[in-house]
Amino acid sequence: MKGPDNHMHWWLGVADLLGHGLQHGAVKLKRVHLSIADESFRVLETIPVTRSGSRLVRACHHSVSHVSYTSVSLAGRAVADLAGSLRSRVATAPVN
Amino acid sequence: MVLALSAGKIQQHISAIASGFLGDWLENRGNGLAVPMTLFVDGKRLDVRNPKLDAPGGTLCVSIHGLMELESVWDFPGQAGEHYGTRLAGALGDTTALKLRFNSGRPIYRNGQDLASLLEQLVARWPVPVERIILLGHSMGGLMIRSACHFGSVQAHSWVSKQLECVYIGSPHDGSWLAIGAHKVAETLNKVPRDYLKVVGEVIDLRSEGIQNLSRGDVFEPGTVEQPLIPEARHYVISGLLAKTENHRVNVMFGDALVHESSARGARREGWELSGIANFPGVDHIRLAHHPMVCGQLQEWLV
Repeated sequence: MKGPDNHMHWWLGVADLLGHGLQHGAVKLKRVHLSIADESFRVLETIPVTRSGSRLVRACHHSVSHVSYTSVSLAGRAVADLAGSLRSRVATAPVN
Repeated sequence: MVLALSAGKIQQHISAIASGFLGDWLENRGNGLAVPMTLFVDGKRLDVRNPKLDAPGGTLCVSIHGLMELESVWDFPGQAGEHYGTRLAGALGDTTALKLRFNSGRPIYRNGQDLASLLEQLVARWPVPVERIILLGHSMGGLMIRSACHFGSVQAHSWVSKQLECVYIGSPHDGSWLAIGAHKVAETLNKVPRDYLKVVGEVIDLRSEGIQNLSRGDVFEPGTVEQPLIPEARHYVISGLLAKTENHRVNVMFGDALVHESSARGARREGWELSGIANFPGVDHIRLAHHPMVCGQLQEWLV
């Protein structure tokens, strides 16, 4: 049976949706975060005194952010993949 | 027991909301949150291939909910199982009230095709000859009725040739201002050369095809020429307004909260012949699905 009355199928659906939400949400959040941060870095870039320092900070900031968001995104993908594989197993499991 | 029932209802509502937002995507992935199209009689699922009822009527009254809703939207507050269909059935006699549940995120034309096929199957296997069909559609449900009528007519379905009456309740035939607004905001944000604004536009664009259809009231398969209401049926329109004073600024801006009165009447559609139009100032979009005044109007038209 498909739909919300089949609890296992329903919960795997929730996991699949949350996993995808996490995977793609983290990527989009990273873009928002980095592009907003770039607005500030662009201002610092125009000031000769802060230019060199801001470049270094920007590189560090973007690298750490990239690693953090990518980790979350990969975790989301793992959840979605796991939910997908369990769903396939449930669908092909023999009915007793 | 009560807890289990509540948990089940919460699950159903989550499925309905998720299906409304992302129903086409959920369906393509075989996700368990996608709501399958199902008919209910007295709160129980009906097996359309083998409908078994204690007293099947020669008149079918099918209530079709709107975007992200469940069939429970039709129930009068505090009176579960009492809705327009049951009131009409009581007044008409020899009538079976049915309620449809469906995945409201799918394109409207695909739901319309499935509804047309479902009705064809239902009429063919109904235990007694069907003489009359009343279709009540709330919001997107009304657009689905138009779509189903078109497909049923094109495919020469037998149910279209019955005494057919279609009631569109708060249906955005010319689009909903909210869906139009979302479409315009996404379009504008996607053009802005700032990534953080583009992302907002992209997130808005994630909305299902069903929601996107609501921005223009699209009910036909892409590439199909605009079709008028089918002449085989009688068509009725009901609209609501937020404020009780008809010309109130709030009504002009927001209509019934989601749909303007002109859109509910299909003012921009050509060749429409309506058998009845009723407007209810002070009744908002959701309450249109379970309001005593609307019920009275339906009885006046259909009984």
